[in-house]
Amino acid sequence: MSLAIPNGLDNTVERPGERAPLVLGETTYHDITEAVCKVAERPPSKGWIGGFLVAFALLQVLGLLIVYLIYTGVGVWGNRAPIFWGWPIVNFVFWVGIGHAGTLISAILFLFRQEWRTSINRAAEAMTIFAVACAGTFPGIHVGRAWLAFWLAPYPSLNLWMWPQFRSPLLWDVFAVSTYGTVSLLFWYMGMVPDLATFRDRSKNKYRRMAYGLLCLGWSGSSRHWMRYEKAYAILAALAAPLVLSVHTIVSFDFAVSQVPGWHTTIFPPYFVAGAIFSGFAMVLTLMVPARKMLNLEKLITIRHLENMCKIILATGSIVGLAYGTEFFIAWYGQVPAEQFAFLNRAFGPYAWAYWTMVSCNVISPQIFWFKKARTTPWIIVVVSIFVNIGMWFERFVIVISSLSRDYLPSAWAYFTPTWVDWGMLIGSFGLFFTLFLLFCRTLPVINMAEVKATLAKQEHMAHLHGHGEEASEGH
Amino acid sequence: MSETKIETTVHGMMAEFTTVDSLLSACRRIRDAGYTKTDAYTPFPVHGIDKALGIKPTALPWICLIAGATGTCIALAMQIWMNSIDYKYIISGKPYLSLPAFIPVAFELTILLASFGAFFGMWALNGLPKFSNPMFTDPRFDRATDDRFFLYVDAGDERYDANGVRNLLADTGSDYINEVVEDDSPKEVPKPVFLIWGLSVAASLVPLICILTMRVTNSSKPRFHIFFDMDFSPSKDAQQVTSLFADNRAMRSDVPGTVARGQMEESLDMLTGIDVEALTLSDPPRVQRLVRAYMLADDEAKAEEKEAVDAAEAAPASVMDTTPWVEKNPLNVDAELLAQGQQQFAIYCSVCHGMDGYGNGLVNQRAQSISAPTWVPPASMHQETLYADKYPDGKLFSTISNGIRKMPGYAGQIKLKDRWAIVAYVRALQKSQNASLDLVPESEKAAVEAAVTEAKAELKRQAEEAEKAAAARKQEQP
Ligand code: HEC
Repeated sequence: MSLAIPNGLDNTVERPGERAPLVLGETTYHDITEAVCKVAERPPSKGWIGGFLVAFALLQVLGLLIVYLIYTGVGVWGNRAPIFWGWPIVNFVFWVGIGHAGTLISAILFLFRQEWRTSINRAAEAMTIFAVACAGTFPGIHVGRAWLAFWLAPYPSLNLWMWPQFRSPLLWDVFAVSTYGTVSLLFWYMGMVPDLATFRDRSKNKYRRMAYGLLCLGWSGSSRHWMRYEKAYAILAALAAPLVLSVHTIVSFDFAVSQVPGWHTTIFPPYFVAGAIFSGFAMVLTLMVPARKMLNLEKLITIRHLENMCKIILATGSIVGLAYGTEFFIAWYGQVPAEQFAFLNRAFGPYAWAYWTMVSCNVISPQIFWFKKARTTPWIIVVVSIFVNIGMWFERFVIVISSLSRDYLPSAWAYFTPTWVDWGMLIGSFGLFFTLFLLFCRTLPVINMAEVKATLAKQEHMAHLHGHGEEASEGH
Repeated sequence: MSETKIETTVHGMMAEFTTVDSLLSACRRIRDAGYTKTDAYTPFPVHGIDKALGIKPTALPWICLIAGATGTCIALAMQIWMNSIDYKYIISGKPYLSLPAFIPVAFELTILLASFGAFFGMWALNGLPKFSNPMFTDPRFDRATDDRFFLYVDAGDERYDANGVRNLLADTGSDYINEVVEDDSPKEVPKPVFLIWGLSVAASLVPLICILTMRVTNSSKPRFHIFFDMDFSPSKDAQQVTSLFADNRAMRSDVPGTVARGQMEESLDMLTGIDVEALTLSDPPRVQRLVRAYMLADDEAKAEEKEAVDAAEAAPASVMDTTPWVEKNPLNVDAELLAQGQQQFAIYCSVCHGMDGYGNGLVNQRAQSISAPTWVPPASMHQETLYADKYPDGKLFSTISNGIRKMPGYAGQIKLKDRWAIVAYVRALQKSQNASLDLVPESEKAAVEAAVTEAKAELKRQAEEAEKAAAARKQEQP
């Protein structure tokens, strides 16, 4: 096959009337299978082992700190009156936000027929699930008596004799995040089944073959199965798209429904969703740019994929910047003294350092993506995406901490100081995330082979049309 | 596994293709030849194949719709039952059945169940999981998930005839055609797998069994407390020492400049017993001072006020006399209030002033018996100078609250309304010792008189009985 790319492997050049190729080089279906399966089949590299050991050690830190927390009580955190939502909630919102990019890529881009999603959706969905796992940890231990967290569930309790309070956004949150986690898991797993069958069919080892055989539920690739499968996939995508928007909306209700100045704003739902997508794409890039290099997937995750994501980062980053500005405008326009104070306090109060870190990381740093050179240079992408990750963590920090530390009762004002346990848990949550992600790279198909092959088939079909004119369309 | 496969069932015929286009054209040929029990196996979904093979659309969307609608109904019913019927919460003054608040959870459950419908419905319609499949017996079929495309014609098709199908498939350009046979060799699951599976099932049952046994057995031992100090938090008693606070006192005093709940709900008149409106005319600076002292909890102003009053008490024209006192008890005086006042008087005043108010309480008796040199006898409530016309209710209230000369103030111990209740009771007490029958309304007079005679007779009877009893005891003793 000939893809006829004029600039060698550069697929970022727009050519009128043609779709840029999304799979590069003289690639066959079998090459795709090889490239993706090799990632899990060859013995682990030194880099992987090193990374895994570090991540696993950090995970142990998280685990031990949770034991320490449960044994001692939430006083080990820096949460003090009036800031009872300290870092645990900051971390929760941060991680839930990260998760959103995965669903966005797999569901919303699917519905918009953005084919470039196929190379990255698997890893992004995995990222979603691992991020939701990290996110779920924090409210679970933040309830204080973590062993009674099941009281959140509406079950007929013989001890309490009462039901949860369904008018509280905190309960909506329980439903939203758990639904989100479940549906993401189903979506991810379902998308993986055909690829797991590929893994099964390539396995030489009896046990490996059996394990993948069980996981792929006996998938055979039958066209009748594919037909229902694609239907189910489209339906799940259509369901996941509003779901992902609802989740961060409801997370923002945790704040917006309260009366704390700086939280009580109607802009929160769209602002939170944009921020979530923003941070999620940044995390995808942070993971994918090094991963495509280390796992030799550069022909499948091309510069064009990275460039597209950079454009989304630029767009959402600017939306977030607009939201910051709007908040100030509304505070001034609304003429509520407490609100006005809250925002001035954010920008010029004791947390000004955090506020300006947030603004420079989230609004200013992505502006470099106006330049194509920046969008197509991997190291710049990684640096900016890490900035965005940091900035988005600070955004949640600014919202949670600055508003709580100075609300209506000046005699209760305080300055938040995290403890070493706060630090340990934040770092430990990255351990959990990376442990899961590295295990994923070694055991499951990191790229959706079936979809990439379908994209390749379509690409070939198009090239065919161009080469031979109308005669090739006889097939349809 | 036997070398010679005697018992093999033929399932159908399959052909391998290397490109999508060749597969599609083969499909069309097979379809046009009239075969219906056919299928294709591909590593990715091939578009147009359902038409080429004549596959009917699936009912999956309907399953989803039903599942989703079920989710909505369950969520709404659950929330309405739990929060509007079975356990009614009042939240922000909203009605018990406030639908908008139930939307988020209804939405989430709709999505959740619809997703379950799509996910499980799809597997069920596909007949998966199904781990044995005759297609898998052909080693070349492993590439169906890699880069090869297979077309399959089932032997159950009424037109099926092995040679005819083989020829037809060969005609379509396939270079590998083979019969699909059932693999009748016994497939045993390796033993370690069984072992691991069995062990994990057994292990997973342990916690469940533990919980169940705990639920059905009766134990006389006290409950096990994982975190003892959470179930029984160590609390400090009054006057205890603690390391928690810098001053080492477990008891905390009010934060300066703060007003406790329930402290400032009353008017300045009621708080001070002074007619503030009248005072505004005669002594505006003092009103300001009172506002600071009583409404703003300004300790300095309180001290200033006390100093001024104490100094004035010594002077001949006392500030106590010039102050415009509240004339009438601001509380509604009824039997309940009097009972409350009586109780409080018995607790706080009777020790000095006596139950009857004549000033001969226990403390006074003791002071007299040891002839305490500095003792000033408590005043009797039954002097004309203390009657309401000379000593207004507000002044009496102020005496109770702030004390007077040798008598300490009780504002710190007795609650505001209780102090006014005592005022009302003292008035009743005064009346009780100095009332004529004229005060009784005409209609009640006869009843009162009768009651008095009866009471006198009763007293007499009691005295006689006591005498008799004493006499009886005397007789028994020797
Ligand atoms: C510790 C003993 C003591 C207690 C308790 C006490 N008093 Fe007195 N009270 C006194 C003494 C002593 C005087 C006389 C003060 C003087 O003349 O120096 C007095 C005087 C008074 C007077 C006359 C004030 C005047 O202006 O001449 C009234 C009225 C009075 N008390 C009411 C009460 C009431 C009502 C209570 C209950 C809340 C009460 N007292 C509790 C010791 C006490």
